[in-house]
Amino acid sequence: MPHLITAIIKPFKLEEVKEALRAEGLVGLTVSEVQGYGRQGGKTETFRGSEYKVDFVPKVKIEVVTADDQVDKVVDLIASTARTGKIGDGKVWAFDLSRLMRIRTGELGEDAI
Amino acid sequence: MIRKRLLRLQERDTRRVFAVVLGGKMIGVLALLGAIKGITWYFEGAAWALPTEPAHTANELINPINTMWVLVTAFLVFFMQAGFMALEAGFARSRETVNILLECVFDTCLCGLLFWAIGFAFMFGEGNGIIGHQYFFLHGIGGGYGSTGVAFMAFFLFQFAFADTASTITSGAMVGRTGFKGDILYSVCVSGFIYPIFGHWVWGPGGWLGNTMGWFHGLTGDAVFRDFAGSTVVHTVGGFVALAGAIALGPRLGRKFKRDGGGPTPPHDLTMASIGAVILWFGWYGFNPGSTLSAMDWTGIGRVAGNTTLAACAGGMIAVLFVYPRSKKWDLGMSLNGFLGGLVAITAPCYWVSPMGAILIGGIAGIVVPLGVDLLEHIRVDDPIGAFPVHGMCGIWGTLAVGLFATGQFGLPTADGADPSVAVKGLFYGGGADQLTAQAIGSLSAIVCVGAVGLIIMFAIKSIRGSWSLRVSRDGELEGIDIHEHGTPAYHVEFGQGMTYSTPAGLSSGGFGSSTQSPVPPVKTPEPA
Repeated sequence: MPHLITAIIKPFKLEEVKEALRAEGLVGLTVSEVQGYGRQGGKTETFRGSEYKVDFVPKVKIEVVTADDQVDKVVDLIASTARTGKIGDGKVWAFDLSRLMRIRTGELGEDAI
Repeated sequence: MIRKRLLRLQERDTRRVFAVVLGGKMIGVLALLGAIKGITWYFEGAAWALPTEPAHTANELINPINTMWVLVTAFLVFFMQAGFMALEAGFARSRETVNILLECVFDTCLCGLLFWAIGFAFMFGEGNGIIGHQYFFLHGIGGGYGSTGVAFMAFFLFQFAFADTASTITSGAMVGRTGFKGDILYSVCVSGFIYPIFGHWVWGPGGWLGNTMGWFHGLTGDAVFRDFAGSTVVHTVGGFVALAGAIALGPRLGRKFKRDGGGPTPPHDLTMASIGAVILWFGWYGFNPGSTLSAMDWTGIGRVAGNTTLAACAGGMIAVLFVYPRSKKWDLGMSLNGFLGGLVAITAPCYWVSPMGAILIGGIAGIVVPLGVDLLEHIRVDDPIGAFPVHGMCGIWGTLAVGLFATGQFGLPTADGADPSVAVKGLFYGGGADQLTAQAIGSLSAIVCVGAVGLIIMFAIKSIRGSWSLRVSRDGELEGIDIHEHGTPAYHVEFGQGMTYSTPAGLSSGGFGSSTQSPVPPVKTPEPA
């Protein structure tokens, strides 16, 4: 069964993660700009000498579909590439895809990856 | 056939139609006659005719050159509207952008017509010490205004641009929650009454502050209130009406102050705000040097332009340096407000001070602005773009600065150049406290009178029930004032077309491969039977 791996990472790590995934031979990647907060609980910026709170910190979400036997490797790869060791590095998770189809051809399951 | 038609005249309905048509024609003729009479009345007073003798001698070129100077600077002052629009919109949130832009445009149109109808008459017409009453609808204007040596309409245009500036300053502190109908009501009050009447006190013929000091005559010796280009008349007035509006309105929904654990709403476009602020600085080269109303005073306009620049530079720099130790950030927004504060402060004294004086005046304004921003935050007044600290507080400082820094070297500006017989001398140059007292009286009269009238008007408009109230409805504010009042947001980004990600040069390890051919042939879908 194919898997969907989703990761929330720091925006400046996107380039490294993309290169690492491509070097690993993964052929597809979807990215989106997202905002959120974790344990850090937002951050502050300043305007005209006063601080204001940014509740949701900008992050990048990446989504990649992999075959069953690659999931652990790819999750580890994303985690090790996106890690800075400082607060706000994000999360990565994976779940099973019960249904996957390549729209152009109608292929199903792992063939559609 | 004819008989049949004549018979129809006996019918009641036909006769009624005839009566209506005939009556309508009579009313039309009367209206036309009235209009002809009115237009003749209007135009017979205006001296539109040009002098028949061509001006050849040097002396006869003075008025045309002065008119050119006043027109060029009027155009510069008018262009400050673009600066206000960009600065205010950039400092505000994206959801209130359309509202700000239309307020500036609509106020300009409204102010132009009001200033033509009544504002100019109140301000520059002959009258008493309090108000003028000549030139209503510009009726009875001459070829040139008074002894200024400039074309009357050029003078009118220059003064309209000033009035418009005062009107726009007001909207700055009221961003994001003022209903548009409420905006129209208070704009009529500001451009039609508050600004022109206060302006008459200072700049109008016989105005009490600019000529006799009225009740306070004995307190100031020979000195009278001096406001060269409007630190008080334009900026303190605009700033205090703005403050009254912000107090009456209350903060925008969801705006929490520093004491309550909140902070300012972040600006949505600092590129636009910065360009707007620099356009304002540029426009100030019309605002201050143009106020000589004469190009013959060539040392004067040079001095004014130079002093204006130095004060702005000092204000912008000091504001940044003042805020840095607190936030450890180089603050763009404070820098913009800082140099604007410096410009506001130098507006009154620019003609009478030395370059060093201009730098000190601007530099102190650069401290007044951040302190003013903190003060408003502390007393929980929501002024999204800093209109009150910049225009209200620096206006007061600049007005007082005349009484401190005026060197006494330069006299009064006239159409033919400076008149050194009347000295304007401040405390620091051995002029005693007379000028400073006169400045304080003028500034206080603006604060007290304009502040009180402003509060009364703003609270009165706020108390109107329904859509003409000062504050937009809660639902409208939550929906977003742009959508609710104007039907459109400022920025439509096409979904899926807005942003693209590009690889920074040198980071990419190459393309994804040149083939667009799929490795898998398409699966044949069965034809529907």
